[in-house]
Amino acid sequence: MSALVELNSVTKIYGNKKAVDNVNLQVQEGEILALLGPNGSGKTTLLKILALLEAPTEGTIKFQGELVTEKNAEKMRTQSTLVFQRTLLFDTTVYNNVAYGLKIRKMPRNMIDAEVKKALQLVKLDGFEKRHAKKLSGGEQQRVAIARALVLKTKLLLLDEPTANLDPKNASIIEDAISTLNREYKTTIVMATHNMFQAKSLPQRVALMNEGQITETGAPAEIFGKLSKNLVRFAVLDNTFAGTAEATSAGTIIVDIGNGVQVEVTEQRQGKVSIFVNPQDIILSKHAVESSARNVLKGRVTEIKDLGSIVKLKVDVGKPFTVQVTKRSFNEMELNLGSEVYIAFKASSVQVL
Amino acid sequence: MVDILGGIAKALQLIVTGDPMLYGIVYRSILFSGAAIVLAALWGTPIAMLLSLKNFRGKTIIKGFFNSLIGIPTVVLGLVLFLIFSNGGPLGFLGLLYTPAAIILGEAILVTPVLISIMVNAIEAVDPDIFTLAKTLGASESQALLAVLKEALNGVLLSNLASFNRAIAELGVALLVGGNIAGLTDVLTTAISRYTARGELDFAIALGIILMVLVFLINMAVILARKAKWVITIWRTPQ
Amino acid sequence: MKIWQKLLLTATLATIILIAGTLIYFLYFAKRRLIISTTTSLYDTGLLDTLEKDYETKHPDVDVNIISAGTGIAIQHAKNGDADLILIHSPSMEKAFLEEGYGVNRKIVAYNFFTIVGPSNDPAGITGKNATEALKRIVAYGESLADQSGQTKVWVSRGDNSGTHSKEQALWKAAGYNYTLISAEPWYASTGSGIGDTLNVANQKAAYTLADIGTYLKFYVDGIISLQALITEEPSLLNVYSAIAVKPTVPANQSLHEQINFKDAMDFIQYLVSDETQQFITNYGKADYGQSLFYGAVQPLRSNTPELIVSWIKSAAFFNGSECPPQYRNGY
Repeated sequence: MSALVELNSVTKIYGNKKAVDNVNLQVQEGEILALLGPNGSGKTTLLKILALLEAPTEGTIKFQGELVTEKNAEKMRTQSTLVFQRTLLFDTTVYNNVAYGLKIRKMPRNMIDAEVKKALQLVKLDGFEKRHAKKLSGGEQQRVAIARALVLKTKLLLLDEPTANLDPKNASIIEDAISTLNREYKTTIVMATHNMFQAKSLPQRVALMNEGQITETGAPAEIFGKLSKNLVRFAVLDNTFAGTAEATSAGTIIVDIGNGVQVEVTEQRQGKVSIFVNPQDIILSKHAVESSARNVLKGRVTEIKDLGSIVKLKVDVGKPFTVQVTKRSFNEMELNLGSEVYIAFKASSVQVL
Repeated sequence: MVDILGGIAKALQLIVTGDPMLYGIVYRSILFSGAAIVLAALWGTPIAMLLSLKNFRGKTIIKGFFNSLIGIPTVVLGLVLFLIFSNGGPLGFLGLLYTPAAIILGEAILVTPVLISIMVNAIEAVDPDIFTLAKTLGASESQALLAVLKEALNGVLLSNLASFNRAIAELGVALLVGGNIAGLTDVLTTAISRYTARGELDFAIALGIILMVLVFLINMAVILARKAKWVITIWRTPQ
Repeated sequence: MKIWQKLLLTATLATIILIAGTLIYFLYFAKRRLIISTTTSLYDTGLLDTLEKDYETKHPDVDVNIISAGTGIAIQHAKNGDADLILIHSPSMEKAFLEEGYGVNRKIVAYNFFTIVGPSNDPAGITGKNATEALKRIVAYGESLADQSGQTKVWVSRGDNSGTHSKEQALWKAAGYNYTLISAEPWYASTGSGIGDTLNVANQKAAYTLADIGTYLKFYVDGIISLQALITEEPSLLNVYSAIAVKPTVPANQSLHEQINFKDAMDFIQYLVSDETQQFITNYGKADYGQSLFYGAVQPLRSNTPELIVSWIKSAAFFNGSECPPQYRNGY
């Protein structure tokens, strides 16, 4: 494996803020690299630099061994493409959206038609060509945006939180498409995420970002293995907490994550640990219900984010938990900011990192 | 009093029989206004793009300047241009006064603020990330700018349409720098004023009807063109 | 190169092509242009259109361009070098124009009369009087009205500083009135617009007004108004039209191309004063209106008949006993 992109001491300053701070990074050909870090840690800026959309304030970039300069940036830029976190579509048909980059590359019309068709199949939007892109649902729109990028078959595909605002169904379609692309076309992929779960399953390598710096890189198992110590800093990640584990007589452990919040976990670990609960595994109710879930916590809704078919909620039970419910149950439960709710999840749903 | 109905009847007769003088005036009106819009769009579009997409000092002042020029009385501009183009004026050596070129230039200058202001608003309404998006999809700087313009297509069309309407309906510039010379520089508005003054009201009414119909048709055509473009876009897309 | 630079370059090129194309076209490809600046009263009767067509038929290499604005702007055009020939009707302004050295070869080409028109029952009793007496009677009639609220109008003026309006002001002055005071009378109306509107208002209010004979006859014959021409041919209402060629050496003429078409201007004046054209001017409109709108002035001046009218023309429009003193003749 050789390096596709190489960042040497790259720093990007906006005004007086260092968005990216002295980053050295090699992206290997054919790998999937995840940039994991809280919001504002510089992931998006780093992706824009990798996409050659922003020139670094200091430092150099090499693409396939060739130094990127102001002169050749425009040409080299066609070797990569970036999918923004916020879904952005041209105000036209799905076909025209997906075909845009191919038209720019002057591909013959019949080939464009075939490529667009394949790309749409990959994101499970077969036959959507003539639909108006902006009239699709949020999830479908993001899938169009993904198709528009992967149809180009660039050497490097950059994804900025590709599934952050999506419901599980749309998210898994996109994740499948990404791994298919990497498997079949050996496309190198760099994706930013603050979803632990995604960072654990998709990539071959993870780079941890914090305050503009890359603090650690390595294979997911390796990174998450020694993450426990570092992870306190990553408390901003969804449902990721650090705490102290103690064994119980029932053969499980209790992790005290602070503020009087204790979580029961089915793994055998002692001392300092970090835990992660997938938002999809959490059940939300208005009253304490009897169930097999070992963890039932009472709290208040502090944030409501409408994502179309699903609603993302933040529930403060002493520590903030992110929960996903469908729009329908959200409406049926008549939830508001400040509503008193219970969250419940199985001890076996908790992952120790 | 003036026989309005009789005037209209006679006017319709002139229109139907294809009076050559009448249609010469109509032809010149469309030609001059059309050429003025092409010219105004050529120099207005880059200025609008700079004003809406780039940040530089004095931008607000320039925008305000163009905004306030939208309402410039046509006779005032006509007078200024007359003094400039006059053989005794600074550009007199070009011999432009009382030529079609003078009207085209004058009307282009007249509508440029309209064109720029509407286009700036339209482009500013486009998501600024569209530019970056096009670039990351492989577009060059110019192609990315075109993508932004395309997103603002409605506003861009509107700016051209509003400019055309202003050009074809204005009197001051065409009269003062064109001179309303029969068969050379007389256009709909100047001819209407001439024939009204002469008491040849049927001719004036005929020209007035044509001007109204023309403005109406062009507005309709642009609306329909947008619809048609959408239909063609879909039709040309493979299944 | 960035797209706006490309567009700006295209725009500049398009502008240059338009300007250069126009310049080259009129310099090398178009017929010779003869630009005549004239007054609306002469142009709007349609007489010049007919003369233009006739002249262009006889001179296929010349394109006659007529601009009609007014006596004042016609003189301004000539001074700027924007016209080759002017056809105007203000002897005092013509005299100044010649004296300032802008024009040569003045020829009196035609004359007609302004007319004071009023309702057919002529309530002020001005029929058969001269202009001065008529205005006095109109004032007396206006002051005798029971209604002084400004609702009833006796006199309607254009009030637009046109040639006709200045003629009206001169008439009031000649009759011994202060125009500022007269125009403030409750029975005095001012339209501030063209003769067509003014005639319409006067017709509706059954009031008197001053009009050029051409427009009046057109409106009258077309049945638009029923006002009668009550005072016509008399010296103070005389209206004399002259043609003056613009000197090719006017100070403004310094350019890439020959701006003053002096040769054709002189030729056009010759055409205007030819017997055939003079006859045509006198006959113009007779068939439609039952009387002449203009009278050719050349023949009367040459033969001194009708003696009375010739003496009026001479006193109104001759300078130092000549229609064009020798120093302004340029050899013609």
